[in-house]
Amino acid sequence: MRGRPKWLPSGRFALGAALVCVPLALALFGPLFAGEPGPRATSFTLGGGHWLGTDFVGRDVWRQVLFGGRPVVVVALTATALAYLVALPVGLISALTRRTWLEEVLMRPLDVLLAVPSLLMILLVASVFSPGAAGLALLVALVNIPDAARIVRAAAADVASRPAVEALRMQGESWWRLAVGHVGRSILRPLAADAGVRLTGVLYLVATAAFLGIGVAPDAADWAVMVDRNRTGLFVQPWAVVVPALLIVTLTMGCNLLFDALLSTGRDVATERYVVRRGVGVRDRVKEPRP
Amino acid sequence: MSGLGSWAARRLLLGGAQTVAVVVLVFALTEALPGDAAVALAGDQPDPARIAAIREALDLDRPAYERLADWATGLLHADFGNSLTSGRPVSSYISDAFGPTLLLAGLTVALLVPVGVGLGVLAARYEGRFVDRLVSSVTLGVYAVPEFAFGVLLVTVFALRLDWLPPTAVGYGTDLLGHPAALVLPVLVLLSRPVCSLSRLVRAGMIDALASPYVAQARRYGIPGARVRYAHALPNAMAPAAQQLARTVDWLLCGVIVVEALFVIPGLGTVLMNAVAERDVPVVQGLAVIFGVITVVLNLGADLVAHRFAPRAEVAA
Repeated sequence: MRGRPKWLPSGRFALGAALVCVPLALALFGPLFAGEPGPRATSFTLGGGHWLGTDFVGRDVWRQVLFGGRPVVVVALTATALAYLVALPVGLISALTRRTWLEEVLMRPLDVLLAVPSLLMILLVASVFSPGAAGLALLVALVNIPDAARIVRAAAADVASRPAVEALRMQGESWWRLAVGHVGRSILRPLAADAGVRLTGVLYLVATAAFLGIGVAPDAADWAVMVDRNRTGLFVQPWAVVVPALLIVTLTMGCNLLFDALLSTGRDVATERYVVRRGVGVRDRVKEPRP
Repeated sequence: MSGLGSWAARRLLLGGAQTVAVVVLVFALTEALPGDAAVALAGDQPDPARIAAIREALDLDRPAYERLADWATGLLHADFGNSLTSGRPVSSYISDAFGPTLLLAGLTVALLVPVGVGLGVLAARYEGRFVDRLVSSVTLGVYAVPEFAFGVLLVTVFALRLDWLPPTAVGYGTDLLGHPAALVLPVLVLLSRPVCSLSRLVRAGMIDALASPYVAQARRYGIPGARVRYAHALPNAMAPAAQQLARTVDWLLCGVIVVEALFVIPGLGTVLMNAVAERDVPVVQGLAVIFGVITVVLNLGADLVAHRFAPRAEVAA
């Protein structure tokens, strides 16, 4: 790749950070400043002591906004962590094992699962169970496991074929030291790249599911639910929709720009391949960095 | 040649396994219900008559494998069973709602390819310059944004403030082609994510291809730049993009469900969401199988096409 101007990554970084800081601060610290709920007013009014007006059941929109970020962010972070909790051991074991059947047993079912569209899977489960926030986190984690495990396996298989690992093996190092100490440490960088992409994807899924009413109470303080429920009053009181929608847009956009900027510094062709080539058909083979 | 044949055979086998898995998975979810499925599905109105009706309709007294076999053979004849709430056959739900969804998805894909490839080639051509930075940053940002948030903002600006376009498709029924203005915003929202991913892939592939020895050689021969770009570099940049195109079907499906809910379009997504809300298991199952099988088939096709474009790329099967 030709040399980029030096300021570009930092420019993208600054843009991402600027976009993400407002929604993230609201999500993390908003509930601390919310105060006591006032009496319910008329639905969809402007003014009257309500800075952003009232929502579909007459609650203060600003108060709802302060509370509404936390569930989105917390569920997304939990789901990402849960996905790796399963994907890491499965990917590592299948990359390092010498038994082909074990690798097949671990990875083939995931290949098959990858075929089901993620939102469809979530809707299917939601049609028979009524998942809460924890259930939604579990579901989103579940649909992310196959892809995450493949990425871990591909990265680990690349490291495991290096001469250093062969040497360690021949020295009789234990499997744990080999897997966790050497291979595990070496794949942190591609994993960080994947985690960034995955978190943005998870944010998207969590917000979309909440918008469709899955895993949330119908009157929950949640930015996505606010967008859905206050749509009926869009022409009377647009702030109740526009403010949470803008917060979701800046959060997801900023996240993606920020992660890209953080991870593209010194990112080689190999990690780029991870991000670009994923999916059912392609074995995520790692290419050597170009000379 | 035998390598290609066996590769294709293995890929087809995987596709078949995925189809079977989708069917079994969809069915298994009703079996996964804790306790008595009929009671669970009756939900808020657990009166005995309704529970008995559900038990009757789903044949819950027979063993699971028999029902799976019956249901799966029915699928082969396009018999998806009857709705729990209305008693109408599921296939009539599907045929009623198929039109709007197909129109939305078709329009989106038809616009997606030229716009996505065009943006990607444009960015690759001016790599590192202002155009490239602008296209790359915008596509990177928009790529992550959920459709409903983007769509609601577009509605606020174009329908509410400027009053250029209708805010929803309410009142137009399934005759969307007669009201093209109502289609603009939904298609725009549907395009937002796939265009970004496709153009980023084409850009990455084009940059690789333009830096390759064969392009340098073609330039030395004095072949015009446009021909080098479109006839020599682009086909090589298209292989990963072709696969991504099929993968975006997953997104398109998510997008269609959200966009139909947002713009009140009576398509398959709306039917699915209503069925999910009413716990109408046969309708959910039927739609899930259709969506799942379409995804499997398109992914299979894309892998075969990508293999044709770039046989060297290792493709799993």
